[in-house]
Amino acid sequence: MSDTDKKMFPDERNSDIMPVVRNMRTKGMSLVEAPINKPLRVIDIAGGESVRRRLLAIGFHKGDVVELDSLAILKGPILVRSSVSDMRIALGRGIARKITVEVLDGRS
Amino acid sequence: MAGPDAPTVIFIGQPNCGKSTLFNSIAGLKAETSNFPGTTVKHTHSRVSIEGRLLDIIDLPGTYSLCPSDPAEKTALSHLFSEKPDLIINVVDASVLGRSLEFTLELIELGWPMVVALNMMDLAEKKGIKIEPAKLASLLGVPAVPIIASRGRGIKELLDEAFKALEHAGKPGARTWSRDVESRIEELAGLLPPEFPLVANRRFTAVKMIEADRLFCDVMLGELEPGFKAEVDRVRRGIESGRSAPAYEIISAERHHQALKIAEESSRIERGRKVPWDRKVDDVIMHPFYGYVILTAVFMAFFFLIFKIGNPLETLLLKPFTSLDQDLGRHLGSNVLFHLADGLIQGIGGGIAIVLPYFVPLLVFMAFLEDLGYLARAGFLLDAFMHHIGLHGKSVGPFILGFGCNVPAIVSTRILESRRDRIITSLLIPFIPCSARTTVILALVASYLGPWTAFGFYVLNILLVAVLGRVITSFTKAPSPGLILEIPTLKRPSFRNILKKTYFQLRSFLAFAWPLLIAGSVFLSLLQAFHVDRTINAVLSPLVAGALGLPRELGVTLVFGFLRKELSLIMMLQALGTGYQGLLTVITKEQLLVFTVFVSFFIPCLSTFAMLWKELGRKVAFLSAGLSVSVAILLAWIIRIVA
Repeated sequence: MSDTDKKMFPDERNSDIMPVVRNMRTKGMSLVEAPINKPLRVIDIAGGESVRRRLLAIGFHKGDVVELDSLAILKGPILVRSSVSDMRIALGRGIARKITVEVLDGRS
Repeated sequence: MAGPDAPTVIFIGQPNCGKSTLFNSIAGLKAETSNFPGTTVKHTHSRVSIEGRLLDIIDLPGTYSLCPSDPAEKTALSHLFSEKPDLIINVVDASVLGRSLEFTLELIELGWPMVVALNMMDLAEKKGIKIEPAKLASLLGVPAVPIIASRGRGIKELLDEAFKALEHAGKPGARTWSRDVESRIEELAGLLPPEFPLVANRRFTAVKMIEADRLFCDVMLGELEPGFKAEVDRVRRGIESGRSAPAYEIISAERHHQALKIAEESSRIERGRKVPWDRKVDDVIMHPFYGYVILTAVFMAFFFLIFKIGNPLETLLLKPFTSLDQDLGRHLGSNVLFHLADGLIQGIGGGIAIVLPYFVPLLVFMAFLEDLGYLARAGFLLDAFMHHIGLHGKSVGPFILGFGCNVPAIVSTRILESRRDRIITSLLIPFIPCSARTTVILALVASYLGPWTAFGFYVLNILLVAVLGRVITSFTKAPSPGLILEIPTLKRPSFRNILKKTYFQLRSFLAFAWPLLIAGSVFLSLLQAFHVDRTINAVLSPLVAGALGLPRELGVTLVFGFLRKELSLIMMLQALGTGYQGLLTVITKEQLLVFTVFVSFFIPCLSTFAMLWKELGRKVAFLSAGLSVSVAILLAWIIRIVA
C-alpha cells in the first residue's frame, strides 16, 4: 500500500490543485477519511487513466454528491452510495484514497 | 445459422440490468432453433419466431459504456459493430435511471434504430422512483417500454414496439453538447477524409476518436494517417484547454449532466420514505462482523444442504439400477452383450442417480444466490482477503461461478481489467471444486467417510486455492489495480427465474455431459470385454499403483476423468467390478481419499482446458495442466503419508 501512497503525488494530473486541498484539511479529505452517512461532494479523482475511466463509466463523476455507507474491517473496501442515481459502488482502499471529497454541511 | 431475411436485434445494457433475464424469456419463448450455450457469457445468438415473424436476437455481455475497459466489454463492442444490427434494444435498470441513461445517450449517438426497455420498474417503484415512460421516450427521441423481465411483464409490448421500430426505421438523433465541445466535434467530423472508415456516422466517429483510448482508435477505427492523427490531437487539446480536464472526462461529464437532467424531468422521486427492507438486510449482510458470519453460514449451508438433499435421493434412485444390473448379469452371463448393457446402465444410472441428486440442488442454490445479488456482496466482503493472495474482490465473482462450473467461470474472468489478474484467476479456478467435483466429493467422501470429512475436504480445497494464489502472485510484481464494483440492489429472488436458470444449465448437462458419461461408460465396458483396459492400466501402473498406492484397475478411469470428472467416479465402480454399496470392501478409506484428491486436481477437465486455451492461450492452458498434475501428486502423497 505504501507504494501507492508514494505514487499518488508524482502521478497527479491536477498537481496544482492537490497540495492546496491537502493543506486545507477542513475542506478536502480522502474518501477513506470521510465521515459515514454524511453528504460528500467529490472534488477530485486522482489516479491513473484506466481507473478514472472505469469510475466515469460506472457513473462516478467529479461534482457528484455521495455518501459513505460503511467501512469493512481489515483494510477492506469501502461502500459508497451515489445520491445522484441511487446506486452503490464498492471501492478498494487504494482507489478510495485517491478520491478527494468535501463534507456538505446543512444541505440536502 | 443466419437466415436470409431475419432482422438482427441486439440486446445491450449495463451489467446487472437484467438483460439476460429478458433475453432468456424471449429466446425461451418460442425458440425455433436452440440457443448456443457453448458460447455463453460471450454472446448468445438465437433465432426466434414471434407471431410468425423471424428475428435473430443477440445477447451481448453487459457493458458500462462504449469505451471498453475490460475484455468482456471489448467483446460486446466488436459484436455490436460487426453485426450491424437492424435494431438495438437497450435494457436499462430503471432503479438507477440517471446512471443508466448515460449509456443510453451514448448508444443514441450511433444513430441506429433503438428501443429502450425500462427494466426493473418494480424495483424503481420500491425505491420511490416514479418514471413516466412516455415523457422519457419523448426526451430521448426513442420509444421506451416499461417492463419487469423477471416476471415476464411488458415483454409483449416491448416486442410490439420493436417490430414497429423495425418497420419504420426511425433513426434517433444525438443530442448536442455544450457549444465549446460540440463545435470542436463538428470541426473534426468535417475534417474526416472522404474515404475514412466511419463507425456508424461522422459525429460518432469523431467523438470516439477524441474520447477513446489509443487501443480503441487503432482497433476500431483502423490505422490513421499520420497527418490526420495530428488533427485529432489538435482538436482534443482544444477541448481540453477550455476546461483543464482530459477530453474523455469532459465528454463523459456532458453525457452525465444530460442523463441526470432527463432522469429528473421524466421521473419523480418520492423521498422521506422509511429505509427500505433491502437496506436493512444489506446493513447486516455487509456488516464488518455479521457479514462474515453470514458468509460462512451461507457456505456451510451450500455444502450441507446439497448433501442432505442429494444423499437420500441418491440411495433411492440407485436401487433400481443396481438390481437391473444384477438381473442382467444373471441372464446374460459375461459376454460382450452383457458388457454393453452393463456400460449403458452404469452410464445412464450414474447420471441420474449419482450426479443429478447433487447437481440439481447445487444449480438451484447457485441460481438463488445469483438472483439475490449475493455474489457482489461476497466480493465486497472478501476483497481484503483477496488482497492477501494478490487479487481483489472482483475475482470473487468468477471464483464463485467456478463452484458451478469452471468453464463459464474462466470466461467470466473477462470482467477483470488487467491481464495479470485474468491469468492468475484463471489458473486458480481449476482448483475450485466445481459441481462435478463436488459430486465426486459428496458421493465418495461424504457418503463413505461422513459429511464432516467431506466438508473438511472442501475447506482445505479453498485454503489450497489461497495458498496457490499466494505462491503464484509472488512471482508477479505488478500490484492489482484495485476494486471498483457496483453493488446491485438486493432482489427478492424470483422462483420463476431460479427455475429457468436451473433448467437452462440442466439442459446443457443433459445434452452434453450426460451423453459423454454414457458413451464413456460403454466404451470402458467394451475395453473390459476385449481386455484392452489391462494394457492401459499396465502403462499407468507406476503412477497409479506405485506413486498413489491405488488398485491398478483405476488407471483407465483417470484417463476418462480428463473428459468429465464424474466419469472417473462412475467408471471407478465399474473398473473395480463392484456396486456402490460394496466399494469399501475393495479399497480402503485412505485409498478412497487419495483417489478423490487425485481425480479432483490432477488435470482441468477437457472443457476447462479448452476454454483456458481459447481465452488465454496455449501457454496458460499448459501451465494450468502442469500446475494441476504437480499439485495433485503432491497432495496425494501427503495424504498417503498422513493417513
